[in-house]
Amino acid sequence: MNETIFSLLDVERVYTLAATGWFRRKTRQLKALDGVRLELKRGDTLALVGESGSGKSTLIRLMLGLEPASDGRVLYGQHDLAHLDGEARKRFAREVAFIYQNARGSMNPRRRIADILAEPIRLHCLCEEQAIPARLEALINRVGLPAGLLQRFPGELSGGQVRRIAIARALAAEPKVIMADESVAGLDVSVQAQVLNLLRDLCRESGITLVFITHDLGVASYLCEKIAVLYLGRIVEQGPTQDILTAPRHPYTKALLQAFPRFDAPLCASLKGEIPSPINLPKGCRFAGRCAQVQPACLEVDPPLTLLTPERQVACLFPVENPQ
Amino acid sequence: MNQVSVLAQSTLGESNTEASLLAVRDFSLRRKQATVLDRITLCLNPGETLGLIGESGAGKSTLAMALIGLLRAPEVEIEGSLCFRDTELTALKEADFRRLRGNKIGLIFQDATAALNPCFTVGKQIAEPLKRHLGLSATACRERAVDLMQSVGIPEPRLRLDAYPHELSGGMQQRVMIAIALACNPELLLADEPTSALDVTIQAQIMTLILDRVRALNSSAIFVLHDLALGAQVCDRIAVMYAGQIVEEGPSRRVLDTPLHPYTQGLKSCVVELGMPTLTPIPGQIPPLDAMPSGCRFAPRCPKAQAICSEQRPELQTRDERQVACWFID
Amino acid sequence: MSHALDLSAPNQAASWRRRFLQPLMRQRSAVVGLVIILAYVFAALFAPWLATHDPTAQDLGAALQGPSAAHWLGTDSFGQDLYSRLLYGAQLALIIGFASVALGLVVGVAIGLAAGLIGGRTEWVLMRIVDGLLAFPELILAMAFMAVLGLGTENLVYALALSFVGPFARMTRGDVLQVKSQPYIEAARLMGVPTLAIIWRHVLPNVVSPILVQAGMRVSIAILLESGLSFLGIGVVPPTPDWGLMIAEGRGFITIAPWISGIPGVALAILLVALNLLGDGLRDAFDPNTQKDA
Repeated sequence: MNETIFSLLDVERVYTLAATGWFRRKTRQLKALDGVRLELKRGDTLALVGESGSGKSTLIRLMLGLEPASDGRVLYGQHDLAHLDGEARKRFAREVAFIYQNARGSMNPRRRIADILAEPIRLHCLCEEQAIPARLEALINRVGLPAGLLQRFPGELSGGQVRRIAIARALAAEPKVIMADESVAGLDVSVQAQVLNLLRDLCRESGITLVFITHDLGVASYLCEKIAVLYLGRIVEQGPTQDILTAPRHPYTKALLQAFPRFDAPLCASLKGEIPSPINLPKGCRFAGRCAQVQPACLEVDPPLTLLTPERQVACLFPVENPQ
Repeated sequence: MNQVSVLAQSTLGESNTEASLLAVRDFSLRRKQATVLDRITLCLNPGETLGLIGESGAGKSTLAMALIGLLRAPEVEIEGSLCFRDTELTALKEADFRRLRGNKIGLIFQDATAALNPCFTVGKQIAEPLKRHLGLSATACRERAVDLMQSVGIPEPRLRLDAYPHELSGGMQQRVMIAIALACNPELLLADEPTSALDVTIQAQIMTLILDRVRALNSSAIFVLHDLALGAQVCDRIAVMYAGQIVEEGPSRRVLDTPLHPYTQGLKSCVVELGMPTLTPIPGQIPPLDAMPSGCRFAPRCPKAQAICSEQRPELQTRDERQVACWFID
Repeated sequence: MSHALDLSAPNQAASWRRRFLQPLMRQRSAVVGLVIILAYVFAALFAPWLATHDPTAQDLGAALQGPSAAHWLGTDSFGQDLYSRLLYGAQLALIIGFASVALGLVVGVAIGLAAGLIGGRTEWVLMRIVDGLLAFPELILAMAFMAVLGLGTENLVYALALSFVGPFARMTRGDVLQVKSQPYIEAARLMGVPTLAIIWRHVLPNVVSPILVQAGMRVSIAILLESGLSFLGIGVVPPTPDWGLMIAEGRGFITIAPWISGIPGVALAILLVALNLLGDGLRDAFDPNTQKDA
């Protein structure tokens, strides 16, 4: 039986911006996340896909407990993240590891790689002090790097190596969940392929739960079996990656797929207009302004994420029929 | 394995060198003992789009910068010929280059936010090349700027004329850059990663726009890209670069459907496509610029490498409607 | 897999040499400065053995004499041996210089750390105090403190230290704020590293380097200030062998015995120049921009 690791129930994250206008009466609200429902089971590999303003980075920060939810609840196992006591917090820090997008920035530039990797091991007292060097060597070899790098500083490593060290550090505490923010963006294709293979092997071997933020549908399909597509703070489609990418039901997912560069398809500007600002969203469906199949009802009702099949969920009043 | 005889002078496909817009012949660029570009030979015809594809360190941006005269002696040493129409670019003085840039050769950069001057309105920046190269009056410039903004799909252009770059979104800023680049109806458009910083749906819009405008003006375009699939969608011809050399060049469909050079093949098997079962990375790393191997620069990482590969550099040979630089083409 | 990298693991000592000593040695002027300073330190350390006379022993019969076999650099108006006073003066200058900077650094960095890390009202209060300290020129501030505390070497150290607290506090706070916003601090928090460990392991090492370089440069300011205050008569008390005091004492005899003021003046000038050369060299050596070209 697969236990649920994370549940998000109608989570919202609202930022109130500085009030404008005379007498400071007009307040502006930025809803970075709106009505997010998500369930993550052990061993799942989930891709969070979205463009700018989709809220994917905010969602991960909420799941890590770095920011509080303005509404709704974020549950880790049975515990509400907003009310974790000291013990539970420590356990959470060990079981959930995060790989930053700025891998180099997430490491202290004045510490050697060996110390950086050993920090979580020492912190959680995972083994004897004498056993640490052997452990570090195994760890760095696991991510395909030579042990000689242990004595270097982060500034001396290349972009691809630094990403892999970040993965190694995430693995050091033997976590149950790994969350990664665009861990392969900006890498050369060959290095990207290496890192992707590494992550895929890790997930397959150790059954680690993975939450991976990416804007690249190809990466999502390679790494993750489940996908959640976000648009302006809401999950608009969610389900098995293969199903969704071959037969999308939400117009945004369809447009995203068409715009994604492929060898076997011509250039297709599937969406007109700009991504609207998340400040003071209008009534109705947030995608209505750019949707190719918008109906009058879409401007009135804001569709929540609803079950289409037991595995798939869509937030659309008129999901794409007979998808091809 | 057949060793194909090396042709002394590379023929350039079906293009007629007489009428070509841009002819690069044996162009080499050296910076501080490192050969950054090694005998590049290319040709661009009027109305064609060419893609320079490669990973970082391939030299594609360097080539683009050299083409518009941003890399000159004494910082770098140049050899070979760069011929734009009938003008030899390597011999051109800076003052003459300034007459070309923004006028006959338009430029689009990757980061529009950095390329646009935050102190001047968008209208002023679009009008600048018009005033400089075409000598239009202020009113004529404004009118033309409005037309240009309309043609690149900026809504309410008259209102936006007086907007500052930071008031526009990333996609809009890139459209402004395109308007500036196309202001004087250039014959050649040089775009260095024009959409890398944009979201994928906006990327599709901007690329479609660029191609539309280029075709409408009957200009040619050179795109510097790292995305192979985008190159296939956008360019008529592709030149794949590795470590400062061109390893394969030809019609994009041909090159990418059936790549002949081991590097191109390796690249293709690394690119993540939807539903791809597995990725095979290319082993090793690109060597540092000052420690390039002799002979074929890809040999240390090549699965087909033999002794001759590290001794002699293969020249570009015509094979199957394209040019390939490899000793062992099946 | 990366094969192109050097796989040997450099040991710690070699790395220290590579990162710190070598860039420093490459600056010729800094090396010159360092050598001169080491000479002064040597003189200061071994003053009791190198001196020929007791620096405060007066011999009115031998007053105002030029350099001779008995008194290598001559005597002053009280008959005290200038050479011995010069050596002990070096001791005093270096001690006051380093002690006041060290004290000011410890207090200033503590205040800056507290302000940067705690933030909020505490930061506001602390920084307003620092602003007050910084509003006065250092010399005036030191004079004011001396007026309150009274004369003497010890009070001089305290006064100078107090006037250095402001600059150190401000600089530390700025660096702490900048480091606080770096991703690796948040990453450490996420991992569950306790706050004190974060400060000790992640914040301090990244804040301390530029401050140490600044501190080195401040030593020359400290020595100049203390000489100035002693010259004005509100520093050390006579007959303490202090260069500033010696210059003041020789003022009245410039025409007949210029060496009384001249010799300590020249010694002071050379030391300050050497300290500045070394300070510049340190700053350039640790500046990542110059490191790249080297």
